Amino acid sequence: MGAYAMEGLWNGRQKQPQQLIEVLLDVQERDGFCSEEALREISQELAVPLIEVWRVANFYQALSLKPRGKHLITVCLGTACHVRSAALLVEECFSRIRMETGDTSVDGLFTIEKVNCLGACALGPIVVLDGVYHHHMTPAKIRKLIKSVYKLEEETMSDAEYHNPA
Amino acid sequence: MQHYITINMDGARLRTPQGVSVLDVAIEYGVCIPHLCHVSNLTDIGACRLCIVEHVSNGRSKITTSCTLEAKEGMVIHSNSDRVRALRKNVAELLVAEAPNSRAVQDVALRCGVKNVRYPFRNENCILCGRCVRVCAEVWQAKAIGFVGRGKDRHVDFPFGVRPDFCKMCGTCVDLCPMTITPCNGPMKPGEEYFCGQCESQLTMNADFPDTCVSCDLGKGFQCERQNP
Amino acid sequence: MPNITTPHELTDLRSKLAADAGKVTHTLAICNGTGCQASRSTPVVEALNEQLAEQGLKEKIRIRVTGCQGFCEQGPVVVVEPGDTFYCRVAPEDAAELVSSVSRGEVVERLLYQDPVSQQRMRTESDIPFFRSQERVLLGQNRRVDPCSIDDYIASGGYQALAKVMAGMEPESVIEEIKASGLRGRGGAGYPTGKKWESCRAAPGDIRYVICNADEGDPGAYMDRCVLEGNPHLVIEGMLIGAWAIGAQGGYIYVRKEYPLAVANARTAIAQAREYGLLGSNILGSGLSFDLEIARGGGAFVCGESTALMASIEGQVGDPSPKDVHTVEKGLWNRPTNLNNVETWANVPFIINNGAACFSAKGTEHSKGTKIFALTGRIKNTGLVEVPMGTTLRNIIFDIGGGATNGTAVKAVQTGGPSGGCLPASLFDLPVDFETLSEAGSMVGSGGMVVMDERTCMVDVAKYFLEFLQEESCGSCVPCRIGLSRMLEIVTDIAEGRGRLEQIDLLEELADTVAHTSLCGLGKTAPNPVLSTLRYFREEFLSHIQEQKCPAGVCRALTVYAIDPEKCDGCGVCLRGCPVGAISGAKKEPHVIDPDICTRCGICRSECKSDAIYVN
Repeated sequence: MGAYAMEGLWNGRQKQPQQLIEVLLDVQERDGFCSEEALREISQELAVPLIEVWRVANFYQALSLKPRGKHLITVCLGTACHVRSAALLVEECFSRIRMETGDTSVDGLFTIEKVNCLGACALGPIVVLDGVYHHHMTPAKIRKLIKSVYKLEEETMSDAEYHNPA
Repeated sequence: MQHYITINMDGARLRTPQGVSVLDVAIEYGVCIPHLCHVSNLTDIGACRLCIVEHVSNGRSKITTSCTLEAKEGMVIHSNSDRVRALRKNVAELLVAEAPNSRAVQDVALRCGVKNVRYPFRNENCILCGRCVRVCAEVWQAKAIGFVGRGKDRHVDFPFGVRPDFCKMCGTCVDLCPMTITPCNGPMKPGEEYFCGQCESQLTMNADFPDTCVSCDLGKGFQCERQNP
Repeated sequence: MPNITTPHELTDLRSKLAADAGKVTHTLAICNGTGCQASRSTPVVEALNEQLAEQGLKEKIRIRVTGCQGFCEQGPVVVVEPGDTFYCRVAPEDAAELVSSVSRGEVVERLLYQDPVSQQRMRTESDIPFFRSQERVLLGQNRRVDPCSIDDYIASGGYQALAKVMAGMEPESVIEEIKASGLRGRGGAGYPTGKKWESCRAAPGDIRYVICNADEGDPGAYMDRCVLEGNPHLVIEGMLIGAWAIGAQGGYIYVRKEYPLAVANARTAIAQAREYGLLGSNILGSGLSFDLEIARGGGAFVCGESTALMASIEGQVGDPSPKDVHTVEKGLWNRPTNLNNVETWANVPFIINNGAACFSAKGTEHSKGTKIFALTGRIKNTGLVEVPMGTTLRNIIFDIGGGATNGTAVKAVQTGGPSGGCLPASLFDLPVDFETLSEAGSMVGSGGMVVMDERTCMVDVAKYFLEFLQEESCGSCVPCRIGLSRMLEIVTDIAEGRGRLEQIDLLEELADTVAHTSLCGLGKTAPNPVLSTLRYFREEFLSHIQEQKCPAGVCRALTVYAIDPEKCDGCGVCLRGCPVGAISGAKKEPHVIDPDICTRCGICRSECKSDAIYVN
């Protein structure tokens, strides 16, 4: 029995191909990404061909195939935010954080996610950090936000981590 | 007992069994409607958009792909009007500018009336016609490959990008792929792409009767359904 | 837990709820929708609760946490009932004073809305210009209910329309009523709702579905979030009535995953409706058995398209299918399916309760009723606006929206999202209805209305929408996948100073091909933003091509940033903000931008407090 099956993640969904997206969203919420192991288990349990599971996991932007950073920065790039210069916020993030290829930082602390509308358009530009919404964002404000996360991480670093950085 | 219906295509009343597509009817009767992603015995997906026709109903004309349009009694179709031809030519131009490195694609573009290409050439090796994906899923039931990703990132791939053991390397996907048919003068290197503009199909005769089938050799090895293999 | 089995029992419950509320003298309605939560309304709710306990007023003054009210820039919002005193920008520290003032029947002046021009304080919604021109048939209901309380909904008259239908309206007469009202789809296409229900009912088959499209993919639009988040029972009631009329046994509310609060509130509402017997079997004794499920989207704009949405519910990738056979005949799992937008469903109870004539009394000849718009962008009052169809753009943008921010002039308004177009200021006297906006080259769409001023470059807007659509395209068909990328290639050339005049002709020809040969609505409407900007703002395109200039100062390749030494006070904010280190200067002395290093990102200009950075 697979690891996820043991936790009962597939209960009530076995042999139900239509649950595929809901199941993947649940795995994404639980792990921060959808691992190969999870995808193979899902294919078995829900009776969905493996290629279909792979296709769905690649199609939907909400699903990530690689582990995400510890802190998720979501920048809204919808029209209302765009005309208020939201693109500058993304640039600011990428210039202040050393990124691996793609959207996750080298030190694994941050993932920058771009979404096409969060629905808080009157208060744009909007940035969500770890589930908390920040409105009327500017490059200066996001710089401060990123700095505050770094500071928090530094303070909570253990002695071991401090002396042996990864 | 087969039930028969009649449709009106370009003024001709064509009798056909029920349950087939307008493109099937055209092919049966030798009316030339260029197509790329249609393969008999595979489901039609309307991906290449070359087989578009005008469907006239309630006094209005709608452009739609003939491969996905089921032939119904009394349907009125214009397969080669000026409007359809202009649209088809533009679609073919997009295709050949995207993937010129295939004789099949070059020939189809010429057949659709492309004279020159107004976009900078790219050199993609897949046009996402889906022939490979469909034959693997529908004929072999293996489902080893599929369209992965969205938009311009869409590509054909195995699950996890690795060939699974249930791919038996039958090669049917390769047999059906239009990109494996190289241009007559050899493969085009990146930066050296061009619109060929020549093909062995009998296009001179075609200029007089542009909408009839001349049983052309559309890209060697890549033939219209009308040809017997 | 009351299990309501007849319409009569529902009326009884409503009376009981009214009686129970007897001791309460005041209610504080606090908006805790997504927008106000971003403005930190949750601590305000907590502070008010604390103060009510501390001041011993918990029996007399009730708190009602509501969904989005739509005046988002002024949040957190607290409204005192009765009297409708409207407090804005309330902070937790204001809680004590607010609570005690309510008990003394007084008003806290400093928390009232202040008109930015006249500086006058205004006490109620009906005094405030933003609200005065609106007719908040749907939005107004949000204030009256806590979205997580089915009792609130019932007490305020909810499920009355359902009871009326269950008590004795045949499905056909419900359909006739909806047809007579003239209600047209609020999701964008504006298809006559009654006609759709009729076709679905007539389609062969025993199993049918109703679906609520709450994907709301148009960036800049959040009307559906507001309605579903703030009043989910209203949507459920509409769907129940539709299910009865069409003969559906099951339904789905497809909600975009980016709306977690709407998902949560809708789930709660469905669970409550089931507990009360309003979802399930033999609803209100009518014989109708119907249940609802939530299906979440996965972050794909294309899944707002009906066939892609249904594929998504079926657990597949959201690739649209050709629509030669309509979904009312073959939709979800190839069965007759009626899909409507959130706002469309939300209008149904009103029509049943008040009659078709009441609904069609508002609006224009072919566009009846009210419509909610999300008014955003470079404008003073942003938020959700509900007006009768036929209201002019000028009325919405200036009377309600208050005109442009920063003293710049309003240049254009973009309506209909990525399927719509940009309309110039010269057309602001156009009435907003389905036909008028379509003829002008845009569309009403789902209701997004983004206002643009002189600092918005229309070539950049065209580029933005093409980039968006290209990213969201499923990639199945050649015209959309490849055509849009070629259109973007051309517009990018123009934005970066490499444009040639003949490219505009090619762009228009290609746009026509994409519009007519694409497989689905995404591709078919994708050229609209480009075509409308070319139609009305051609001179901006020509300026980029012929003069290598971007008049709005946005396109980076064509702008040079410089600092006016007379305005610069040497504060150094720009220097610190520059991501590439292109600015230098000593403290308190005018700073200088090195044009060779500068990437024209615009961060310095956005941060300068002296307006000393200019673009040419």
